[in-house]
Amino acid sequence: MTPPAIGRPAVWRWPIAIAMLTVFGLFAALLGQGGVWLWLSWAALAFPLAVILACLSRSGKAGRQGR
Amino acid sequence: MSARSIRLWSVIHKWTSLLCTLFLLVICLTGLPLIFREEIGDWLNDDPPYAAMPPDTPMASLDGMAAQGLHRYPGQIVTSIFVDDDEPKVLVFMAPSWRAFIDDPRSRHWLKFDARTARLLHDSDPMSKGGPDFLTLMLRLHTDLFAGLPGSLFLGAMGCVFVAALVSGVVLYAPFMRRLPFGTVRARRSRRLRWLDLHNLLGVVAAAWMLTLGLTGVLNELTMPLFALWQNTDVRAMLHRWQGEAPPTGADLSSPDAAFRAVKAALPGMEVVSLVYPGSPFGTPFHYVLWAKGTTPLTSRLFSPVLVDARTGALTAVMRMPWYLRALELSRPLHFGDYGGMPLKIIWASLDIATIVVLGSGLYLWLKRGRIPMESQRPGNETISMQEAPVRTAAE
Repeated sequence: MTPPAIGRPAVWRWPIAIAMLTVFGLFAALLGQGGVWLWLSWAALAFPLAVILACLSRSGKAGRQGR
Repeated sequence: MSARSIRLWSVIHKWTSLLCTLFLLVICLTGLPLIFREEIGDWLNDDPPYAAMPPDTPMASLDGMAAQGLHRYPGQIVTSIFVDDDEPKVLVFMAPSWRAFIDDPRSRHWLKFDARTARLLHDSDPMSKGGPDFLTLMLRLHTDLFAGLPGSLFLGAMGCVFVAALVSGVVLYAPFMRRLPFGTVRARRSRRLRWLDLHNLLGVVAAAWMLTLGLTGVLNELTMPLFALWQNTDVRAMLHRWQGEAPPTGADLSSPDAAFRAVKAALPGMEVVSLVYPGSPFGTPFHYVLWAKGTTPLTSRLFSPVLVDARTGALTAVMRMPWYLRALELSRPLHFGDYGGMPLKIIWASLDIATIVVLGSGLYLWLKRGRIPMESQRPGNETISMQEAPVRTAAE
């Protein structure tokens, strides 16, 4: 059974945004001339890590509240 | 996505993951220290320090450093000279003879000089003597499992399988997660479900980075065949006009210093980082091959080979690199993560650890798979939750 089309884009919203930021971060430091590009690269590539930490922290809180 | 498609992608994800997980774990674990190879190399280095001199002190004579090596090892040959662009270091590589070097490249040894004073700082043993040091051990396990070209090609194939596992994992993400908010890790459910959510979260968040590392890793494993292709096509065609001439020997060789100066004059704004002697399997029988590179973050990764007639010292050609070697050069920083300072290295290491968790959790999910009839794994079936069904299928 094919699931309803509604909601499908929402599943991909975060993954696509993170993937685009990752690609930007990978090339910003390589193609930019240092300075601000380096900082933008660090920020963009650190974002996925921040997302992981935020999700784990949220899950940890939910787990503690459930006990 | 239809149940049939989900099953197909699940089979692809399961088998590609199972096939490559063990090797990818080795690659990720050995890659972790390699991210910090410069720092670890400095830490393990017990050579005398460089002389304290003004930063603009000119380089000492390369001819003199090569002569020191030949004086120290009479009867041996210099195979190449490497000039570091990061620290005042010159390495003179030597071997008993070209035959010995071609038969066993590990017969090579090197002398390390202070680039400004030409003082000898380290005289290495032949690479064949003694076991590999820590970083070499990590590098060989990471790149060829100590099996040379077959090992490289095997790990390259494993990299392709890893890319297929990643793509199939991303395809399966939507059926898993469409009824859950992004990033959900159900901490109050079973341990298996918790690891499943973590596998999905880390997998999708690091997917673009893992895909980049996978593809660039595959390209890096093709280094030897790609360079051999270039040597057998472009380089061979260029050497056609020297056919029949006798290659220069030690007494005929012109000055390496002069070759360096000639290339620097021909390529202003570029740095010359190495000189390969004629006769090397990585060069030509008639030329010094000098490798020059740019100075920006991007162009410092793009090398141009310059040929200097080893007999006359005349600049012969600045060769154009073919597209496949340019692609290989561009893939290197994107794989090594060494182009954005220490913060980028720390990010690289963190994403590497995330990849290890994705691999480990995938293995755990497969080992802890349950016995669920195929019928109940179809999306929408009541006997198993929508979020769990496709993942179980994938893990089984």
